[in-house]
Amino acid sequence: MPARTQAPCIARERGWNRRRVLGSLCAAGASLAAPPVRAQTMFRFGLTPVFLDSDARLLGALERHLTARLTQPVALVQRRTYQEITTLLLAGQLDAAWICGFPFVQYRDQLSLVAVPVYHGRPLYQSYLIANARETATDVEGLRGGVHAFSDPDSNSGFLVTRYELAMRRETPASFFRRFFFTYGHRNVVRAVASGLAQSGSVDGYVWEVMAEVEPELVANTRVVRRSEWLGFPPVACLTAREDAPALRAFGAALTSMRDHPDGCEVLDMLRLDGFQTAPRTLFNPITAMHDFVRTHA
Amino acid sequence: MRRLPHPANWPLTVAVPLLVAGLMAAVASGVSWIVLARLEEDQGAYLRQLAATHLDGLAVALQPHLIRQDVWEAFDVLDRTSRRDGGIAARFAAARFALVTLPDGSVLAASDPLAFPVGAPLPAVLRPRLEAPDELVIDEPGRLAWSRRRVEAGGVPLGTVLVEMDIGGLLDVRRHALTTLVAINAGLTLTLAALGYALVRRLLRPIRVLDAYVERIRTGRVEPIPARFIAGEGSEFGRLFRRFNAMAEALAEREALAARLAAEEKLALLGRLASGMAHEVNNPLGGMLMALDTLKHHGDDPGIRSQSAGLVERGLKGIGAVVRAALLAYKEAPGVIGLTPEDLDDVRHLALHDIQRRRLRLVWKNDLPGWVGVDGAAVRQMALNLLLNASRASPVGGEVRLEANVGDDGHLRLTVRDQGPGLPAEMADVLRAKGGAVSPGARGLGLWTIARLLEWAGGSVEIAGEPEGGTAITLVLPVVEDAALERRPQDAAA
Repeated sequence: MPARTQAPCIARERGWNRRRVLGSLCAAGASLAAPPVRAQTMFRFGLTPVFLDSDARLLGALERHLTARLTQPVALVQRRTYQEITTLLLAGQLDAAWICGFPFVQYRDQLSLVAVPVYHGRPLYQSYLIANARETATDVEGLRGGVHAFSDPDSNSGFLVTRYELAMRRETPASFFRRFFFTYGHRNVVRAVASGLAQSGSVDGYVWEVMAEVEPELVANTRVVRRSEWLGFPPVACLTAREDAPALRAFGAALTSMRDHPDGCEVLDMLRLDGFQTAPRTLFNPITAMHDFVRTHA
Repeated sequence: MRRLPHPANWPLTVAVPLLVAGLMAAVASGVSWIVLARLEEDQGAYLRQLAATHLDGLAVALQPHLIRQDVWEAFDVLDRTSRRDGGIAARFAAARFALVTLPDGSVLAASDPLAFPVGAPLPAVLRPRLEAPDELVIDEPGRLAWSRRRVEAGGVPLGTVLVEMDIGGLLDVRRHALTTLVAINAGLTLTLAALGYALVRRLLRPIRVLDAYVERIRTGRVEPIPARFIAGEGSEFGRLFRRFNAMAEALAEREALAARLAAEEKLALLGRLASGMAHEVNNPLGGMLMALDTLKHHGDDPGIRSQSAGLVERGLKGIGAVVRAALLAYKEAPGVIGLTPEDLDDVRHLALHDIQRRRLRLVWKNDLPGWVGVDGAAVRQMALNLLLNASRASPVGGEVRLEANVGDDGHLRLTVRDQGPGLPAEMADVLRAKGGAVSPGARGLGLWTIARLLEWAGGSVEIAGEPEGGTAITLVLPVVEDAALERRPQDAAA
């Protein structure tokens, strides 16, 4: 992912490097003085494919930032589907996870919000219904009978929003489209639509916008047919039961203070995000409403 | 336009290089054919291997997705594979598209979904490729190849992977090899032909030298081959040149000898001519002296004076004729000299002195019909010589006859008969041998002159012994209708 580090962050990164060396030395000294930390003390952070790609540089910067902010080592856990990460989180095998708004509302009674990304100044994003640039469709109806690419059955923007749109028309994906499939990645939806494998796709608007900047040739083969209303950005959540644990509080602080640190800055710049902030659960009420509608009209 | 000569007659400098070039071209064609056939075979094997490797990878990657009929994952595999930089392999046989079909023939996914939409049946043109017995089908004119692989799980067919490849790269390599082979072989052939030409030209140089010097001999100039040519040649031609020079030397010596002999012969002939002339002048001299004597004693008698003066005049005329004849004969004077009966009658006067001195009876039977197309001077001289010889051979008081006529066969026949003891054999030989006779000696000079004149006039001689003794010599001379008398042969002029 060729995201560029912004100039202010470079200056901060230099200063951080000195501090980081000292910090590393202190940590090394501490680890020599104290007995080795056990694996169960490791903070496990789950990531879903909401990320643009499994970019090693991004993950490295994120790990460095979190490790520096937390008093314990951080492990980044990646899985192919939303469901796997959600399951791990619910099972307590992850301390926190960056999940989608849809699983959050599905398990809202078990999960709490740690932080929500801020995109263009707000913790909101949209779902895009995109079509191949050759397609002439101007609205959802124009996509009827085609092949449709969804991102993930547990994705809000990549599945629920479109499914809700169809439910409003008393349709299901199977009845409306000739064929549909899941690509398990928003970028894959763009690839599928751009190549013509699918005539249309449901994709995270934020991902599409960032890709338009980073991979303009690929995105140029797609066209946005419909943008959804603004919805709560995929949040970082934890089990409500562990919400008040010190590690989680430190983790939440590390996320919300990301802009203040060079590695965090690098992460945010690569993700094209302004930062993280705390948000009320009500942010996800529109998603909850869609979920409920779909469930009752299925 | 000149016709091309038969190949057997072509010069070696052309034929050998052409032969070399032809052989080279034949060998080059054969080698090129083998190389190209081998290349084609290798390329086929390479393509087969390349396609098999490619399909193996695809089949393994696609199998789990085929089981689930997962459109995206199948596409992802095909798409990533097609985007992968194939390196050298891709340059020679680039995959144009890859697709995977389900057992019902519908497309599950293709690297080019726009051309092969999901769920659509495989286009009819590609269906035979899918069912081809061979995994690899090559369409050389179309510069395409297709390879397919059936994917199964536990014996259950899941689908088929089909890859279309652009084999233009491979064909270009083959074409490049062909052009390179043709260029190199053409270059080699031309070079060898040029070398052959230069070599054969160099080898044949001695032949050309020899030819030039043989040609000089033909045109009469005998020259040895200069040493500088001999020094430059190897053993065979050097030996040949030395032999030629030895031959040329022998030839030159022979020619010099012949020239010397000719010069000597010329002198001898001059001698004979002089004595012949003296003889011819001497013959009427006797008659003229007698006429002068008669004038001296009986000059008062006008009849005798007139007769004697006439005799002297005729004698002088005869001498003049002899001299003129000699001049004409020996200086090759051109022109026609006819013979009239009067011309022949003159001879009687020239011979009369000898006849009368020996008291012979001369029977003169001149039957010439008038002007006759023969060399009159020659005939007169021959007749005179024969008469003088006959009068010398005949006994005193005998008879000498001359008969001249033109026969039915168009020949002049001049016969002189005597009553002598017969012509000696060697004298007959001198007559018969004509101009080729050996030097006759003083006695036979008259006959030798006859022989030479006879040869020039193209005539022949008949010598017969008379029944009552004596000899008859008949000269037979061809008569030309027109005035153009044959010219005297060159050697006689020497």
